[in-house]
Amino acid sequence: MTMEKRVQKSKVNVTLELAIFVTIVITLIPIIWIAILAFLPNKSIIGTSFDFSFWLGNFRTLADPGQNFLRQIFNSLTITFGTVILTLVIGSGSGYSLSKLKPPKWATTPVFILASFLPIVPPITLVPGIYVTLTNLNLLGSVTGLVLVNTVFNLPFAILMIKSYFDQIPDELREAAIVDGASERRVFFSVLLPLAKPGLGAVAIYVAIMAWNEFLMGLIMTTGGGAAPLTVGIASLVQDYEITFGQMSASGFVAAIPIIILTAVASRQIVSGLTAGAVKS
Amino acid sequence: MKNAAVSGRTRGSFSLSGRRATSVVALLPFVVFLAIFAVYPLYELVRLSFQETEVLDGEFFSAFNGLDNFKKIPNDPLAVNSIKVTLLFSTLCVILTLVAGTAGAMMVNSSRIFKSAARNIFVWPAVVAPVVVSVMWLLILDPTMGLVNKILESLGREPQIWLNSKAGAFISVVVVDVWHWTPVVFLFIYAGLNGINQEILEAGRVDGANEGQLIRRIILPILLPTIAVIAVLRTIMSIKAFDEMYLLTKGGPEGATSLISLHIREIFVDVLDFGYASALSLCIVAILGLIVGIAYSLRRKNRSR
Repeated sequence: MTMEKRVQKSKVNVTLELAIFVTIVITLIPIIWIAILAFLPNKSIIGTSFDFSFWLGNFRTLADPGQNFLRQIFNSLTITFGTVILTLVIGSGSGYSLSKLKPPKWATTPVFILASFLPIVPPITLVPGIYVTLTNLNLLGSVTGLVLVNTVFNLPFAILMIKSYFDQIPDELREAAIVDGASERRVFFSVLLPLAKPGLGAVAIYVAIMAWNEFLMGLIMTTGGGAAPLTVGIASLVQDYEITFGQMSASGFVAAIPIIILTAVASRQIVSGLTAGAVKS
Repeated sequence: MKNAAVSGRTRGSFSLSGRRATSVVALLPFVVFLAIFAVYPLYELVRLSFQETEVLDGEFFSAFNGLDNFKKIPNDPLAVNSIKVTLLFSTLCVILTLVAGTAGAMMVNSSRIFKSAARNIFVWPAVVAPVVVSVMWLLILDPTMGLVNKILESLGREPQIWLNSKAGAFISVVVVDVWHWTPVVFLFIYAGLNGINQEILEAGRVDGANEGQLIRRIILPILLPTIAVIAVLRTIMSIKAFDEMYLLTKGGPEGATSLISLHIREIFVDVLDFGYASALSLCIVAILGLIVGIAYSLRRKNRSR
């Protein structure tokens, strides 16, 4: 390789960098704009001119005990944590079994069929059946019901992801522990599960984002108001007769910013989660 | 493999069957969960689609009506419209996100200044809740207070009313979808680009190929399997799309953005014609299954070649 080529390669391509910069700005405009409006009073938002006066009133109104906002955040947090934990518990057991325990074919076939079929089914088509199921279980409109439903939609991805993480751990490790006299349970909890931790972390972050963002099931399986998750609360602000854009922006801001910060900080895990998740589904 | 056999023999057949039992038990919660919340609802869907179900005083009354629900589909102008809208929406969104995501990944990959910033920021839209995405874009496109109109008016131009016109609303939801989901394509292609052996590209450069030729002759062919997978994924995603349109346009104006999921929701929840909604749902599930099935078999054929 010649000197000349190396110099040429390290030269900054101005057009390219400019194009990327513009794309970054376009990507950020909707996010920045909602962040600005969240801190503006309604009259400056509705006015036709640009009027930026910092104001915390939107958040104060939302946090008012008479509003459902805080209750909905609490619901969403509960649904998110519940879904992540349940998904990890079921997913790690099943994923481990698929990867290391060589289950008989009659047991794995339905698992693979279900795991690859569910992701292609539009959730709206399952609404009547899930509605009936939750009614029969007496869980309609409850946070527990939404935890179960969210878990179901995330399990196919989680189980395949976790299986692939366990696949990366050599079989010899398990066999050595068994030969040393450790029980199956012990091998799973003390040897293999700790090794799969980074993978489980990626799955947890991905599932948390999905559960926090879920809307359709929250919309149909709850009666709204204090029983609903945050996304449904935001939607009801959009559909109010008198749209209060400030509160709408503030609630959207609260729903989006934690996730974006999480993404910025844990970008590597999320990237691996998103790419793997999408391939699997 | 040998090790497993040895340990199985030394520990006796009991341990082997113990593992077998454990392996099945560990899969059980998954199967039970999906049976209750996915297989049963699908069964309900099939059952409902062959029945005429009426709600009287909160009670459901069903009667078998054969294929009547399915026969209704071609005669329902709203369903036909939804299918057309969905097809156009999917085609545009899949192509546009694929092109934008691939171009973005290639740009970021050869960037020096913005590489790490862009790699991070370009992912952000994909993690924002679809509901919030529609709020964000409402704040930009709204005819009375949106950012676009504020800019237009401060420039002394006529304000736009895109969300109120058929073409404008449709283009708007496509733009929103492209903004929201290009990151997914970007992520994959970027990962794929980083997996390409640099020596192959160097060899091409030494042989006198310019960047355009490298992309066309080497990079794109290598990325093709990845692109194919994402194309299928994006097709499924766009046919499943619901949240953004539900809030941004409610399927309007005049059904211009009435995607199939929105139409099905309306028949289920507002019209309460369960039989017909189920029949329509079943057709969509079948079509999606067919798409994935074809894609899967094509991939297998390619691999075995």
